[in-house]
Amino acid sequence: MVEFKTLSYEAVTIGEEFMSDDFLVKPEDVDTFAYAVEDHHPWYFEDSPFGGKIAHPTLLGNQALLMRHSKYIVPAGLHAKMQFEFLEPIRAGMRVRSRGKVIDKYERRGRHYMVTQFETRDEEAGTVLVRGQFTQMIFPASGVHRETTNR
Amino acid sequence: MKPQTARRVEVGEELPPLTKTILQRQIDCYSGVRPDSIHTDPEWARKKGFKAPLVQAMMSTAYVSQMMVQFLGEGFVRGGGMSVAFTKPVLAGDTLTVRGRIKSREPEGGRTRVSVDVWCENQDGVMTMAGTASGLESDPRSSR
Repeated sequence: MVEFKTLSYEAVTIGEEFMSDDFLVKPEDVDTFAYAVEDHHPWYFEDSPFGGKIAHPTLLGNQALLMRHSKYIVPAGLHAKMQFEFLEPIRAGMRVRSRGKVIDKYERRGRHYMVTQFETRDEEAGTVLVRGQFTQMIFPASGVHRETTNR
Repeated sequence: MKPQTARRVEVGEELPPLTKTILQRQIDCYSGVRPDSIHTDPEWARKKGFKAPLVQAMMSTAYVSQMMVQFLGEGFVRGGGMSVAFTKPVLAGDTLTVRGRIKSREPEGGRTRVSVDVWCENQDGVMTMAGTASGLESDPRSSR
């Protein structure tokens, strides 16, 4: 049974590990993603040089990004940085899971950040599909930092 | 389907830009609708100090990926990557232009890795994301 804590800078520890649920990539997920980002490249719907359809390389970004939701109640946060390495194509029919670890947390100009490294695998083949890291700003309990409301 | 770029794009030259006007419905599909979300709940976004719901920053990485797949094809899907920073919020209804300029070509394991400076600008010309993306050139004409 998971005991969810509210995410805060103090609560997060370096070395802390996260794991997403496993997720079956379905053709409808590829379709929805294509609509959301307006990218209907034929490799995602017809055929590709990899043999058969593939999915958008960044399709599983949110699975990695939302891993911390499997441990924490996350009131809000801003995504500051993102790194991806695309190792193998993602395909519908794969059952995928992301695992990650907090590798840093720091304060800069009064704002709090956490850095998480991740790897997303095809769980059945064991193949690493994507790896990378992301930096997220943790909002203070009071709401958003004033400087972020710049428009 | 071959990469769209018909001729080799030289260092310093720009890739064909992409333009995206981002609808709330697209944000809803990307982020998943839920209450108390700065992405999909307009009232909650206002409460948090934003005029409109925020486009999830990750959507900009998908636009960069689209530009790089068009440019490099297979060499981005297998062997590509990106490192970007999100510098300003993007709001529902904004129009982003996604741009890339060839930064370098370096040999890598018998192939050539092409690095591209990438960035997004909103309709006011404000940069919302910046960084680099790279991938392996697959067209033999490009590795001369």
